[in-house]
Amino acid sequence: MAFSNGSTLTASDVVFSFNRMKNLKDNPAFLADTIASVEAPDDLTVVLTLAQPDPAILAKLVYDAFSITDAEEVMAQGGTDAADAAETDTAEPWFNDNSAGTGPYMVGSYEPTVQTILVRNPNYNMGEPPYFDRIILRNLPEAAQQKLALEAGDIHIAMDVSADQLPSFEGNPDIVTFSTQSDTLIFLLMNQNPDIGGPMSDKLVQKAVRYALDYEGLRTLSGVGTNTPAAMVPLGFGGALDSSEGIARDLEVARQLLADAGYPDGFTVDLRYPDFTYIGTEFGVVAQKVQADLAEVGITVNLVPEELQTSLDAYRAGQHGFGLWLWNPDYYDTLDYVEFLPAGVVGNRANWTDDNADAEILALRDQVKVETDPDARNELFREIQLYEMESGPFAPLFQPGVHFAYRANLTGFNYNGQWRVDLTLLGLAG
Amino acid sequence: MVVGLVVCLLWFLISLAAPWIVPYGPLAQDVTNRLQPPSAEHVFGTDQLGRDVLARVMYGGRISLPAGVLAIVFAMVIGSAIGSVAGYLGGMWDEALMRATEVFMAFPTIILAMAIAAALGPSVLNATLAMIVVWWPSYARIVRSLVVSVKSNEYVEAAYAIGASKRYILTRTILPNCIAPAVVMATLDIGNAILIFAGLSFLGLGPEPSAPEWGRMVSDGIDYFDQWWLSTFPGLAIFTVVMAFNFIGDGLRDLADPRTRKSQR
Amino acid sequence: MLRRLVLAVPLIFGISLVAFIIANLVPADPTAANLGERAAADPETVAAFRTRWGLDEPIHVQYVTYLGNLLRGDLGTSIRTRRPVADDLGRYLPATVELATAGIVIALAAGVTFGLISAVWRNRPIDFIVRILSLIGVSAPVFWLALVALLVLYLRLRIVPGPGRLDAVLAPPPTVTGMYTIDSLLTGRWDLFRNALHHLILPALVLGAYSTGLIARITRSSMLEVISLEYMTTARSKGLTERQVTIRHGLRNALLPVVTIIGLSYGHLLAGAVLTETIFAWSGIGRYAYDAARSLDFPAIMGVSMLVAIVFVVTNLIVDMLYFVLDPRVRTGEAR
Repeated sequence: MAFSNGSTLTASDVVFSFNRMKNLKDNPAFLADTIASVEAPDDLTVVLTLAQPDPAILAKLVYDAFSITDAEEVMAQGGTDAADAAETDTAEPWFNDNSAGTGPYMVGSYEPTVQTILVRNPNYNMGEPPYFDRIILRNLPEAAQQKLALEAGDIHIAMDVSADQLPSFEGNPDIVTFSTQSDTLIFLLMNQNPDIGGPMSDKLVQKAVRYALDYEGLRTLSGVGTNTPAAMVPLGFGGALDSSEGIARDLEVARQLLADAGYPDGFTVDLRYPDFTYIGTEFGVVAQKVQADLAEVGITVNLVPEELQTSLDAYRAGQHGFGLWLWNPDYYDTLDYVEFLPAGVVGNRANWTDDNADAEILALRDQVKVETDPDARNELFREIQLYEMESGPFAPLFQPGVHFAYRANLTGFNYNGQWRVDLTLLGLAG
Repeated sequence: MVVGLVVCLLWFLISLAAPWIVPYGPLAQDVTNRLQPPSAEHVFGTDQLGRDVLARVMYGGRISLPAGVLAIVFAMVIGSAIGSVAGYLGGMWDEALMRATEVFMAFPTIILAMAIAAALGPSVLNATLAMIVVWWPSYARIVRSLVVSVKSNEYVEAAYAIGASKRYILTRTILPNCIAPAVVMATLDIGNAILIFAGLSFLGLGPEPSAPEWGRMVSDGIDYFDQWWLSTFPGLAIFTVVMAFNFIGDGLRDLADPRTRKSQR
Repeated sequence: MLRRLVLAVPLIFGISLVAFIIANLVPADPTAANLGERAAADPETVAAFRTRWGLDEPIHVQYVTYLGNLLRGDLGTSIRTRRPVADDLGRYLPATVELATAGIVIALAAGVTFGLISAVWRNRPIDFIVRILSLIGVSAPVFWLALVALLVLYLRLRIVPGPGRLDAVLAPPPTVTGMYTIDSLLTGRWDLFRNALHHLILPALVLGAYSTGLIARITRSSMLEVISLEYMTTARSKGLTERQVTIRHGLRNALLPVVTIIGLSYGHLLAGAVLTETIFAWSGIGRYAYDAARSLDFPAIMGVSMLVAIVFVVTNLIVDMLYFVLDPRVRTGEAR
């Protein structure tokens, strides 16, 4: 197995890549939290030692942050896997324009918000050589542009088709559409820290918000294929509650909860969100719907759209008091949704920590993390979701449908919730 | 010019009387009736949240018209004040001021307005402030040059001779002679200001997202090519208003300047 | 003339000061907005960030540091793209220059023609039509025009290609100047040249619409003024045909005021790029400026505003020189 620069992949590259990922302490580092050590006794063996039982470790290892890179090359570009990598690793600029993996394609060029070009890896030696000389991932920010470009034959796949556009593709023999339920969870975050969240940090207010949302209207807005999860585990994951068990809108209950919380006349709050469209979900439109829903119970929402990266940074730093966000699974196990619990990745973003959470949810969280019996796990997940409906800093909005449209001569189209489309399988007919 | 005045008045009336003309509120959502094409019920159709586009276009004037007019009025007042003082005092003050205005005017309007609005944070007030900052220098310059030329006129010297104070001379004898050209220029600029304002809110630097504002509505409609009515109507609104102000401005300029009046005929 | 050249120096200095002041108006703390999860929680990293960007220094010291870097061609590092601003600008500027230049060429050709037609056939139906058209040009919001043009010409009629600088399937030509039309010619890629040109037409037309209207209006009124002047009558009496009179004597003099607004129009085009590049998926500095403003990326905002302002000052200087060459009256009258 060879890297794109021709050198051979050995176990030591795996050790380097895993350690570097863990020590960079960047956003995906949490996936490596249960890993105590990685060792390479010989060139073809890697030994992973876990700090605690982790029923999801195999599912985690296929996440792209665990990609194996060429240790020698990365070190030559300023990379390091040392414990202080977070401060001393300087390989990022190089990685912005290059790659050091073993896959059929490698990075040709990368222009943020414009395009990424993947080119054929000349040293690829694991089966069929890649079909295309180059694959261009072009950012056409508006779904309408993608549709037009697809119809004109300028592009082969439109990744952000909206439900509203589906009917217009019917009867076009050159275009095939594909729709399925996505694993994406669109939700509201209400910060537990009173200094950041203001009234939104109040338990009763959080519950009032869950009762004030018009879930049915949100489903209509999002279009075909949309579902409403009952709590913070999307439909399709083991142990997820059925939609029918979720909260139904009840404005009276919501108003009463607000009055109990000491806000009989409501209050004003900023809703911060990334101003972008993801798999056909326009965040700006959803935010305006939330604004209108909450207005009915007296909560005045000011919309604060933000540029994606800026917004993401603030959200990740736990600075959004009231935010509209999405979560995609990092790995295919319900355990990924423990991140919505205290001290989890998303829990931390809402400043929901071991200090301000109650004992009940902390106990559930700790149990489910190490439980390996499937039935017992599902029961624990059920209890966690029932707790989330009652209490906690999140409100699930919906799980959108996901729609793709591609040229009929494209072969090998495939969908996977994590990768969306595996580009390496694509080719052209005829 | 008459056409311009009529269209302008019409827009002011429409935006004031909107609540009595359309049965829908500009913010009233109805998601089950979203993206409906124009019909008897919704003359301009509905948008992605089922809001009536006609209602939003009508209410839109309530934001864009005052923003454009106020920005220019303030820019004119501030610019004229600074310009007249500089022109009157002359010397170092004058030189410094002229260099300062040149710096401001070196930035193309939308770039400077965008940078300021982005720095202050998006809102109607900040967008308007940004436009004032962009526009005052041109008024300062025109008023200054007028003051300089009027200052040397005989009647001003006569006022000196009879011992009038500097302030009196500036406000009573010089300024009144400079107002007409500034007003003509302002009328022409209001159209431009409305365009820039629409541009700012198109970029997300104007009112908040749900507000019925024309530039914002056009940008919301980008994603919906099949639903052409979303961006076409608010765009037409901006276009007609700006055109009306341009008509009025052209007319006023011709009236004020007999030379062009002759050649236009 | 010399005076104007000398004045350009403090002008550019002033521009840097204004850009710096605006960028420092930012009420939001850039530290908070621009550090990741791990970093914002870690006081050491926050401190390092503040030191790196000089945020701890008093404001005038920050400005002096900024100016010093500026003179060395260092505009700082963009917080959003994490690349040097100068590199980013270098990367995106050619696309915008290509677009704006195409826009000004179209605007000049169309504007002068329209203005001339309008003046010669004054008060005829054709004059009326041209005047309405040029009024539309200066009144329609450019971003809306862009959308409507795409809607009609691309979506319905399919006579122009869609957004982007090339068809998505084509690879850009090797970078020489960064302008696709020129690079494709230099490397002999006729297919790319045709495609790039095809993609350039609509955005350039839309971007040039305002300037076309403006130039047509100015050409018309200045032409009308010139026509009524005495030397035109003299020329006529010398037995020249009406066409010769109009073109040789009239147009040449009528174009002087047009020349002065070319610089102005070019600045306008660069600015209009901010509103249209996003719609046309044109990866130039307009789109870069838009992204920068929205993410409060102050080094980038400063870089773009300064660059555009300086381009504006320089084009105006060039235009002044052109004017100086063209108009003998200015040359002799240059006593001040």
